[in-house]
Amino acid sequence: MSESALKETAAPYRTGESRSEFAPLIDELYREEVLGARRMTPEEKFLAGEDLFEYACSITMAGIQSQNPDWNADACRRELDRRLELGERLQRTAP
Amino acid sequence: MTAEDSLTLQVVDAVAAAGVPYLLVGSFASNFHGIPRSTKDADIVIQWQGGVGVEFAARLGADFVLDPQLSFETVTGTFRQFIRHRKTPFKVELFLLSQDPHDQKRFSRRREESLFGRKVWLLTAEDVIISKLRWARSKDRDDVRNVLAVQRARLDWPYLETWCRQHGTLALLEEIRRTVPDI
Repeated sequence: MSESALKETAAPYRTGESRSEFAPLIDELYREEVLGARRMTPEEKFLAGEDLFEYACSITMAGIQSQNPDWNADACRRELDRRLELGERLQRTAP
Repeated sequence: MTAEDSLTLQVVDAVAAAGVPYLLVGSFASNFHGIPRSTKDADIVIQWQGGVGVEFAARLGADFVLDPQLSFETVTGTFRQFIRHRKTPFKVELFLLSQDPHDQKRFSRRREESLFGRKVWLLTAEDVIISKLRWARSKDRDDVRNVLAVQRARLDWPYLETWCRQHGTLALLEEIRRTVPDI
């Protein structure tokens, strides 16, 4: 799985005054995302959300273990749960 | 990941085996109609009186933990019940079908898709957009944009606009629609 597959959403397509020098590249990346999604089978699309989440969690768990080498698997899992809850709180308070 | 590993499919199969009419909504539906992204939960609307109970939990197996209590969901005005898994942070939320007019309508328009040798009831692309515009969080807006970009001409625009007008989200739909490139 590629690193780019981990991002939460596709690159946003922006219009108007806020367009930066990177706008053509952002637009092209988004175009590739859309065309790629159209090429996927229904089964691939169905499993993708859960699969990507599992992969993202495995990376975060590796990071937690690396930062806390003396922690066991249960302690790492509790920290993962704490971070996910933090993410939910941030989502709720986002502007 | 295979279909056998999918916790969502395991819960969907248990709901179907219990004879409970259901509808898969939320990010699973927007992934299906739009551009897939990571998601930490699956949302399933069920047409059922009260929460699911012990028999249902037994059908799921020992790795699943079913919250015995229903909790009130203030945004949608309905009740929900959590299903957690002992080995992963992924969770499934069961929502009881509410009396909300659009909740009723989207349930009646649900589409039966053939996936991995079974039938799965999914939200239509139009109803993904209408539902997510009501929530309108950052990720919902992105999901709406992505479904619009992927589906484009296939969408039933009069249906979309009728419900968005009713919900007061028509301006937001137009705002997002203007940012969708012609792909």
